[in-house]
Amino acid sequence: MTTRPEVWDGSAAPMRMSVARRFGVSPLVGILIAVLLVFLVPPTIYLVQTSLFTTNFDGSFDQFTFRFYLELFTNPRFFNNLVNASIYAVGSAAVALTLGVLQAWIVERTNTPLRHYVFLISIVSLGIPSVLYTVSFLLILGKAGPLNLLLMELTGSTTPLLNVYSMWGMVIIEGIDFAPLTFLLLSSVFRSNDASFEEASMMSGAGIAQTFRHITLRLATPGIMALLILIFIRAFESFETPALVGRPGNVNVLTTEIYQSIQSTTPPNYGQAGAFSMALMLIVILLLVWYNRLSRHAEKYQTITGKGFRPRVMDLGKWRFLTAGLLVLLFIIMIGLPVGIVVYASFLPYYEGVTAKSFTQFTLANYAQVFNSQSFKSSIGNTLILGAATASLVCPFTALCAWLAARRHRGAWILDQLATMPLIFPAIVMGVAFLNVFLHMPFAFYGSLLSVILASMVRYLPYGMRYSYAGVLQVHRELEEASALSGARQATTFLRVVVPLITPALITCWLFVFLLSVKAVAAQILLVGPKSQVIAVTLFDLWENGQVTELAAMGVTWMSLMTVVSTIFYLIARRYGLSIR
Amino acid sequence: MLSVSGLFKQYISYDGTPGGGVFGADFALKEGELFTLLGPSGCGKTTTLRAIAGLETPQKGRITLGSRDLFDSQAGINVPMYDRDIGMVFQSYAIWPHMTVFENAAYPLQVGRKNKYSSAEVARKVKEALDMVGLGAFIHRPSTQLSGGQQQRLALARAFTREPHLLLLDEPLSNLDAQLREHMRTELKQLQKNTGVTAIYVTHDQSEALAISDRIAVMNEGKIVQLGAPKEIYNRPTSEFVAHFIGRTNLIHGDLASSAAAGSTATLATPLGPLRCFFPGAAQARSGIAVVVRPEHIRIRKAGAPVEAEGDNRLNGKLKAETYLGEIVEYVVDAQDASGGGKEFLVRTPFVQPIGPGDAVTLSFASERTIALIEA
Repeated sequence: MTTRPEVWDGSAAPMRMSVARRFGVSPLVGILIAVLLVFLVPPTIYLVQTSLFTTNFDGSFDQFTFRFYLELFTNPRFFNNLVNASIYAVGSAAVALTLGVLQAWIVERTNTPLRHYVFLISIVSLGIPSVLYTVSFLLILGKAGPLNLLLMELTGSTTPLLNVYSMWGMVIIEGIDFAPLTFLLLSSVFRSNDASFEEASMMSGAGIAQTFRHITLRLATPGIMALLILIFIRAFESFETPALVGRPGNVNVLTTEIYQSIQSTTPPNYGQAGAFSMALMLIVILLLVWYNRLSRHAEKYQTITGKGFRPRVMDLGKWRFLTAGLLVLLFIIMIGLPVGIVVYASFLPYYEGVTAKSFTQFTLANYAQVFNSQSFKSSIGNTLILGAATASLVCPFTALCAWLAARRHRGAWILDQLATMPLIFPAIVMGVAFLNVFLHMPFAFYGSLLSVILASMVRYLPYGMRYSYAGVLQVHRELEEASALSGARQATTFLRVVVPLITPALITCWLFVFLLSVKAVAAQILLVGPKSQVIAVTLFDLWENGQVTELAAMGVTWMSLMTVVSTIFYLIARRYGLSIR
Repeated sequence: MLSVSGLFKQYISYDGTPGGGVFGADFALKEGELFTLLGPSGCGKTTTLRAIAGLETPQKGRITLGSRDLFDSQAGINVPMYDRDIGMVFQSYAIWPHMTVFENAAYPLQVGRKNKYSSAEVARKVKEALDMVGLGAFIHRPSTQLSGGQQQRLALARAFTREPHLLLLDEPLSNLDAQLREHMRTELKQLQKNTGVTAIYVTHDQSEALAISDRIAVMNEGKIVQLGAPKEIYNRPTSEFVAHFIGRTNLIHGDLASSAAAGSTATLATPLGPLRCFFPGAAQARSGIAVVVRPEHIRIRKAGAPVEAEGDNRLNGKLKAETYLGEIVEYVVDAQDASGGGKEFLVRTPFVQPIGPGDAVTLSFASERTIALIEA
């Protein structure tokens, strides 16, 4: 090593471990690892078995075979699905990231008017179940939708010009659906930038666009790359959009193929589903390896330091009205139109596109039906309990894991890996895996709300983990070291220094996991029983049955409720966020 | 060169209550001058600097650089910061962690719109700037591998590469350790004189300000309270605030029997007896006039010791404490007033004669060193 006078290397000097910890994991880490293994091992074993055994009618495994894996290579559909899934994942990740980066920058780094509302709106839009969101875009972009009607009017064509049941339809819908989440995740990345980095650039003569490109974007790159992989994985395993948009247009991806192997094949081809799942998992694992390699440069994220941190925003001058206009336009596309068409549909006796005639037929019959339905009321209750329980279990747990991992406690990297592991399970496959685990329990567990909550908790561990991790990474290690040097034990440091500093991140984590867990279908569709019906699954069933107007009324009711919940939460978070700034 | 007039910027906190800022600052810089804004934290010095940089938009006022208006609230002029041609060194240095030393320093040359440089020119100018601050050997090192002092130098080099008309320095030395700080301060002054760049320096450290500046503007609560050369600020403070903020001082209040002309010496009746004082400005006869005497302007001797050349003012007292500081000694003396009460005096002087705590002593100081706090 060459001598380097007065070199300060931020990545050097990891905390010295105590003697006890050098010989193994600490008790705390050990306990957390054990908890995670209890939840992760059974579904994994089941999944591997499914792909390696023929399955009997009663669900028990029969003979060991490699047949299902060999079939992967002879089945042309597999490669076709693989290509489709890749295009779909890249496309929707690009759409979501572009929209997310744009909004996050405008909101966090500029003085654009109205910018504070984007946060609220994004949270509210997270409350829209994916099924409902996808359906609303199908109504807008579909054959009888307003866009096609408009294009036919303009071009004089007698047939619809756009076919939404296609790859581009999937990419656009999934991308827009995922944009609010991307924005929320990115906003914390942008917020943590020290403004003097940008100010120094502006003082160097760079304009706003140059500063954004050379400084803001580059400093946020580690965060954006990590997020990109996360969205990519999420798109790869997404189910709702491919099932509702791609399947009718015969654009199949791996997840819909797995779903079809189980649901639309008699008898269910569990073996094929298992082999497809294993292939999908392999791809996702490779992506995760890449992700981990990236996050090794974690020190780059460390931007909140003890001195000179000034969260200031950039003055755009007159351009701020342009950016404000952009925010409004995005709002119309992402929320205004989809919500509008669902509200519109909810007042119709039957759905037949947007026509002048239909406005005269408005009726409240759909709402009457919804409000008088006992099953709908219990569905709401179940969904709220599911969301709150999932979030309350996931967030504190992942915060602890993330902190231990970020501070490189002995063995804590295992926690990180384990808590991130559910990402490698496509939601639909996880549903199948847990279904079998619950069915094989010695007591009646399948179909209970608790079972759905447990599966949901495992499913959203990685998302909670990412949010907590981002929060922890932004706390400069020196702030904790200062606490340690003040004589605080690690537990004290965690409670007195780390927790207060990452509390805004934790609040966001809670809300985010809550909203995600109540909007998903894929993980729950196979697990819910008559006593644990949840909204998203109910909506999915209604669409499959073609009950568009009832679906719309139910969707509007649920969205209103979620808007109230989100707004209250947003106000609390904002107040809290301000008080610690 | 640079002129700032009527600069007003008040911060409003989230709940709507008005906060700090700068409330009407006027000053003008001469070409090649190192001008310091000095004051305690929250006095508005950084706000003033940021307003000149264009990082903050004032509510009122006018800022002119050379013949060019940078900001004028009445004419509605506000030149964006990237067009102001001002270099700045930030308190946190703001060295971009994702760039190397070279990339950091080259950035201002690459992004500027007015002048386009070929890559050879960029390389040459960057090399020059880095050599100037002694970082030439580190040119290809990742910027995160620099020490605090090196980051400081890099921040300076970056501010210099574009050869700005004006250099702004926002507490540039506050993150360095004391020894390095003194070293850098000399270097900074040298660099500024060699390049001839006009610079504004913001600091809360009075000794730094005195050492480095051509002129100092002392700020308090959003206003400039005194502006002048370091010697003038130190020797002729015009307010209690300045007298106390710059160096240590002894403060006495007294009554003036008849009015005094500017630049004259008059007698002030104080509880310690009559004192001959210098009046920098004219003063009407009134009570409660404050005068200051710097500790190093006071001579001390054992009571009854032979008299050398002495000032006009003389006080008797008792030595309370002495602190030996090497080249000088600091004495605390209880001066007796007419009623027998005491007033503590601080005296700093080279070690002269053997006196110890409890000894009766005589203090003497010249009338021209006894400054009435009256604005000239």
